[in-house]
Amino acid sequence: MKLRNRSMSCRKVAKVLQGYLDGEVDGLTHDAVTAHLEMCRDCGLEADTYQAIKSALSVTGGRMVPVDPHVIERLRAFAAQVRDDDADSSAH
Amino acid sequence: MTSQSDQERSEAFDRYVVPELGVLYRVALTLTREPHEAEDLVQDTVIKAFRAMHQFDGAHPRAWLMTILRNTHINRNRRRRPGLLRDPEALDALVDQRSTQGVSAEETVLEGRFEAVVEAALQRLSSDHLRVILLVDVDGLTYQEAADVLAVPRGTVMSRLHRARARIRADLKTSGVTANVRGAQ
Repeated sequence: MKLRNRSMSCRKVAKVLQGYLDGEVDGLTHDAVTAHLEMCRDCGLEADTYQAIKSALSVTGGRMVPVDPHVIERLRAFAAQVRDDDADSSAH
Repeated sequence: MTSQSDQERSEAFDRYVVPELGVLYRVALTLTREPHEAEDLVQDTVIKAFRAMHQFDGAHPRAWLMTILRNTHINRNRRRRPGLLRDPEALDALVDQRSTQGVSAEETVLEGRFEAVVEAALQRLSSDHLRVILLVDVDGLTYQEAADVLAVPRGTVMSRLHRARARIRADLKTSGVTANVRGAQ
């Protein structure tokens, strides 16, 4: 059953739901959506489904573009070298 | 002996750039699809960021770095492979590569059908939609940061992201698969 509460309609929630899940809405909107989701089963299920999709995308998308941790170590060493080389050249 | 400004630059570099190396590399991988090229791209970005450190005001370091990364990527491609940036199927190779690996029956059982359907839907997305999904849902960029990387308006990132997820949602519905969420049957 669709719910119309005084702060936000199901339609409005659907419009901002993705931004809400991505942390891209302002505080007032966030609070209004949170309150709505707690009271509206349909919108709550929709939000849970999209949250599950986001979680699954994080896993499956990460497998598409795997990161070798050794590369990050090399890049940290490279960055330190860039910084220290500059310090050495300034010192001479 | 180094000057105070050199010390400040090194400190700012450690504070703003070094913590972002992991995200920079992930985004570089999304853009280039090739580990060695991605590593080179991040190295070039690091050098440019260090040289421009004195111009950075400390606000939104990731967005600043993404802009440098994007411009560096564009310049590298312009020099090496003119025309590539106009290729709308730039990520197709990545999709094809992933598709050929497939998803084993064991994986489906272990990880659940939900994830398998999401993965299959992900492989069917257009390169534009896939790229936005990777930048936001995998690399963890904000809408504005993803917009900076792709050189498109924030609204374009939002619409591509929403359409891509809606398509995945529709695939789940067609497959009759639901997430393990509150009250779901």
